[in-house]
Parts: sequence; structure tokens; C-alpha cells
Amino acid sequence: MSVAKPYESATSAGGWPLRLRLFVANYGVYIALLALLLAATVLTPRLYDVNTVAVVMRQASQLGIVAIGQTLILLVAGLDLSVGGIFLMTSIVVADFTNGRDELVIPAILIALALGALVGLGNGVLVTKRRVPPFVATLGMLVLVKGATQAYTKGVPGGFVPDILGIVNQSWFVLSIPLLLWLGLNAVFIFVLRRTAYGRKVYAVGSNIEAARLSGISVDGIRISVYILGSCLAVASGVVLTGYVGYVDRFIGTGLELDSIAAAIVGGTAFVGGRGGLLGTIAGVLIIQILSTMAVLMGLDIEVQFIIKGLVILGAVTLYSLANVEE
Amino acid sequence: MLRKLIFTLFILSLLLGTSIVSIGQDGAMVEFEITQEMVDASPYLQSVIPRLDQEYDTSEFAKDPPYRIALAAQGTSNAWSALFDAHAYWYVEELGEDLVSEFLYGDAQASADIQVPQVEDLLAQEPDALILVPMGAAALSAPVERAMMQGVPVVLCASAVETDNFVTEVGTNLYSIGATLAQWLIDTVGADGDFLMMTGIPGTSTSDIMEEGALAVFDSYGIELLDKQPGFWSPAEGKKIMETWLAQHGDEIDGIWSGGAQMVQGMISAYEDAEMEIPPIAGGEMQNGFLRSAIEHGFQFYAWMYPNAMITICIDAAIQILQGEPIPRFIDFVDTMPEARPFTDAEAEDYYRPRWSDDVHGPVTMSDEALAELGFLVEEE
Repeated sequence: MSVAKPYESATSAGGWPLRLRLFVANYGVYIALLALLLAATVLTPRLYDVNTVAVVMRQASQLGIVAIGQTLILLVAGLDLSVGGIFLMTSIVVADFTNGRDELVIPAILIALALGALVGLGNGVLVTKRRVPPFVATLGMLVLVKGATQAYTKGVPGGFVPDILGIVNQSWFVLSIPLLLWLGLNAVFIFVLRRTAYGRKVYAVGSNIEAARLSGISVDGIRISVYILGSCLAVASGVVLTGYVGYVDRFIGTGLELDSIAAAIVGGTAFVGGRGGLLGTIAGVLIIQILSTMAVLMGLDIEVQFIIKGLVILGAVTLYSLANVEE
Repeated sequence: MLRKLIFTLFILSLLLGTSIVSIGQDGAMVEFEITQEMVDASPYLQSVIPRLDQEYDTSEFAKDPPYRIALAAQGTSNAWSALFDAHAYWYVEELGEDLVSEFLYGDAQASADIQVPQVEDLLAQEPDALILVPMGAAALSAPVERAMMQGVPVVLCASAVETDNFVTEVGTNLYSIGATLAQWLIDTVGADGDFLMMTGIPGTSTSDIMEEGALAVFDSYGIELLDKQPGFWSPAEGKKIMETWLAQHGDEIDGIWSGGAQMVQGMISAYEDAEMEIPPIAGGEMQNGFLRSAIEHGFQFYAWMYPNAMITICIDAAIQILQGEPIPRFIDFVDTMPEARPFTDAEAEDYYRPRWSDDVHGPVTMSDEALAELGFLVEEE
């Protein structure tokens, strides 16, 4: 079994020439990123200032870390909306457990990871053992986690974020801890997906679940494991966000759950599973973040920003649909 | 009463075309001009200004105590609303069962979608009066109309609706607050300064009305803002946008208008990371976390108050209505809580409370013991 490029398996023609369709499907996101960067040289040249690049990369990292998990889950034809609740839970655990004490950061992160894994396990079990559609299962889990955090805090998140987490705000040239973490995690998971049996099984389960089952792959085990990984990556992103904000913000990470799905989809990961990968997601994350920063640099109204973001997502989906390599 | 007098003078002077409004006192006094054009352009001012001078005849609602009062609140969403609710329960208990026999409560979780059916549920329980913290001016207008048709007097608390069919509103003139913050920036920096503006959640009346007032003042000086973006009343969003602004405008920024202290916390963090000097910021509040940061970083600010303790005034208004006493159609909480006035960085130490947790919005009328029970007091070292 070998790991294909996102759309390497396309076989027939119809509509666009096959080569063009394969090219769009495999490289469209990188071309879009390049076009965006070229447009920025005219529209917002300040995007290329070192400080702006550092800001873009630091903010992209927050989205990027959770988008890794979302990509893994999409690869097995899943979806995870519960990550929004995990951000909040992580923030509350870190602030409440440590109450500002640096020495308790590691235990607090371990507790958050354990709770996150539990949420991921719940998602995975609901999807695999109870046959609940991923959208419904993870939406339910989102409501459950947010409800539980509200019950625990009575609507008033308390505690203090330890100073040591402020390290995520330091930049050296364009490098920062969140960026290094994002790149490091990408390296690990790209290796896992491309070079290990586990990665090949993830693609196999997403491509054809029955064939994977007949091949002796523990389909449920693989699907549950990616939900757990996705939740743990959301915890990692939550820790970064908590350090970034420095406060327990009830709205922390709001919107990142949908942005992470958008980044993966724009990056070429298919909703139906089995196709796509993390390099495309990196490009998708950068497109979304650069667009967001360019919008502020250009002073665009928030309504226009939402419209542009929506158009980019729809445009990407339409383009992949036109490329239609399934035929 | 001073404020009422000012607004009465304001209405009279509008007949002459313009009005000078003064807000604050001592070092925080700010004056700005409201022109007839501003009033003509603002449905909010057109609604509030006439009501400042009106009274509602409440005799139709008069009945003997004890009363059943319903509160459709913002609910579990942030520390401001948690303390708002805490003040409500505490005050009802203080009043005693002889006056308020039952206190019905609806938790909207800061969502108009949740609040609309919730108000219907509360009305189905036939309360004697409804206190509503509207989560959307348009969405809550119909439920307010239905309550009044059902004979349940409505007290709007902390925010407004689009209909005029309610008994009274407790709050403050948000347009003037937004305008005052802008005027303070101009007074502090000069009209030739380069300003940024960060608003709350677009579409919410509190945010939109403050923005409207601020823009009117900036426009009256011909000031073109460097940029205006919503920060969604979130420290995280505030910081993200501020980082981009700093990368774009850097030292050019002479002053910042903010629609809430939460976003200022994010701005401070962005400035701290960039190791840059914080310019004057208009838009602080008596929120302990903001004050702690402001004192630590020592920058010029202008703060206003939107006390969650205003619910006690709303409850008093509901009781006054049920006792058949005439009531003003707009009650400015500053008339009842004179301590809830704007202040500047010069008074930051006076308003900071070391024992309060960061999320407490003052002024607080409850005892320290009640605050401790709710987890709003930090342990003394």
C-alpha cells in the first residue's frame, strides 16, 4: 500500500482535460497562495515587513495546530466541531489549576490533554460504535463540553494564566514558539501519514472503509485514534491561545473550529475522506490568515472580510468540484 | 440630578441648533457639542431625548404586594452578567418575600435566539412585571410588544429595543458615552492626531450606538481614522487586531478608541509584546483586570462605567410601577449611582480593588462576604 498525492488516483477524462484537472486538484492551493502573495505586493506591501510576517505566522500557528487534527479527522471522512469547547476547557484548566503558578503548568497541560483525549474518545466512540454522524456527534460534544465548563465556572472563568506561558508571545525575527510548534507538529504528522503503516491505514480507511475492513485494518480503532489526536492537538492550540491572550476569555478560539475545517478543505483535503494532506492544509491556513491580515491592513469592513473568506472557501470547493477527479 | 439638568438644558438648547454636553467631573470632565444634524441622523437620540422628559402613568399596573417579577437576563456568558445576576438575587433577598414573593429567571446565554422564546416562557407564567436585558434591539421588539399587550409592564435594563412600547428603560446615554470617549481622545492628543477605533460586536445595539456617537464627534473635527475594526469584546480578538495595527502603523498611532475594557486588555498585551509605549486609550472601564494592567503599564486612559449593579435600579423601577407610581421613561443609572461616573488614569488607584478578581466590574453594591461566596475575591497573601 502506498500513499498517493491527493488526487493521484484519478483515471478518466470529461470536461477539463485530465492533466489540467489533476494539476488544479494537486497544486491549486499553492498557486492560489502564490497569487495571494503576489496580490499583496500591490495591495498591501506592508505584509512583507518583518513584524507583519511575524504576526501572520504567530496567528497562523494557532489555527494551524488545530487544523492538523482537523485534517487527520477529515482524512477518515470525519469532522470535529467540538474543538471550540476544548479551547475553552483548556484555558480554564490551565488558569484554574495553576492560578498563575508557573511550576504547575506541566501538570495542568497534562490534565487538559487527558480531558481532551476523553472528549476525542467520546467523539470517536459515538461515530464508530453508535454510528452517529460526525457532525451531530461532535456538535453534541461541543455543547456538552461548553455546558460542563459553564457549570464548573458558573459562567465566570477564574484563576490566572501563568507568566511562563507568555513565552508564546516572543518572536525572534519571524520565528516564535507557536510557529516552531506548528512546524514541528506538521513534520511529525507528515512523516506519520507518509512513512508509517498507521498513516497508510488512515488514508485507506478514508478512501474505502469496507475495503479497509476487509484488509484487516481496525477501522474503528483508526477512526477513534484520529479523533483523540485531533482533540489533543486542539488542547495544544488551546494552551498557545491561552498564553497568547493571557486571560481566561470565554470566547477564546471562537471560530477556529470552522476556520480549521475551511483551511483543510481549501488545502485540498476531501470532505469524503481519503484524499488530501497536511502540506495542502498549511497552504490553506496561510491563505486564510493572510487574507485576514490583508483585510485589516486594507481597512476593510468586517462584513467584507466575511464575504471574502466565504468566497475563498466556496471558490476552492467549486474548483475542486470542477476538477472532479472522481469521474 | 445634575445629569438630568444637563440633558434638560441640552434639549432646550437643541432648539437653538446645537448643544454642549458635559460628562464627568473633576479631572474627567469632557465637553462636546451635539448638533441638530447629529440628532437627525440618530434614531437612538431621537428615541432617548424625548423620553428623558416623559413620565409613564403606571396606575393600570398597580396591585398589592407581594409581587412576582420576571428577569430575562443576559445569563451565563461573562463576569459582567454573572455579577449582574448575583446582584439581582442578592437584592431580591434584601427586599424580602413580603415585597417580591417570586423571582422568575431566564438565562439567554447572551443570545437573542435563545432569549426570544425564553421571554415567551416567562410570560406564560404570568409575572406581574418583566425586566428584560435585550440581547437584540430588533429581535426582542415583538416579545416586548406582546408582554405589554398581555398587561405585563416591561422594564428594559442595560440595553434598548426598537419599539417604543415599554414602560421605562434603565441605562445611560450610550451615544454620549461613545462621543465622550472620542472627545477625550481629541482633547488629550489634539485633532491632528492619528486614531484607531475598535468596536464591540457589530449589530449589537450597545456597540453600534457607542460607535455612532464616537464617529459623529470624529467627523465633526474632520478626523479620518487610521482604521476601524470590531474586536468582538474579546481580549483575543483585540490583541490580534492590535498586533496587525502595530505592524502597519507602529509609532504613528496617537490614540485608540475602544468599545470595551476587555479589548483594551488585548491591546495592552500586544503593546507589551512589541515593547512599545502605549498611547492614550479611551474606553477603559471599572474592571479590575483592566485597572491592574493600566496601573502596571502607566498609560493615559479614560474609563466609563456600565455597572452590573444597575439591576437593583431596574428591580426598584418594576416595584415602583407595580405600586402605581409614575415613573420616568428613561432612568440614567448615574442619577441613582453617582459613583458610576467616568474617570481617568489619575484615579486608577482609587478604583482598583486588590482583593477583587480580575473579572469584577464595579461599582459593586454587595458585601465582600457575598462576593467571596461567589468566588470574586482573591485570597489575601
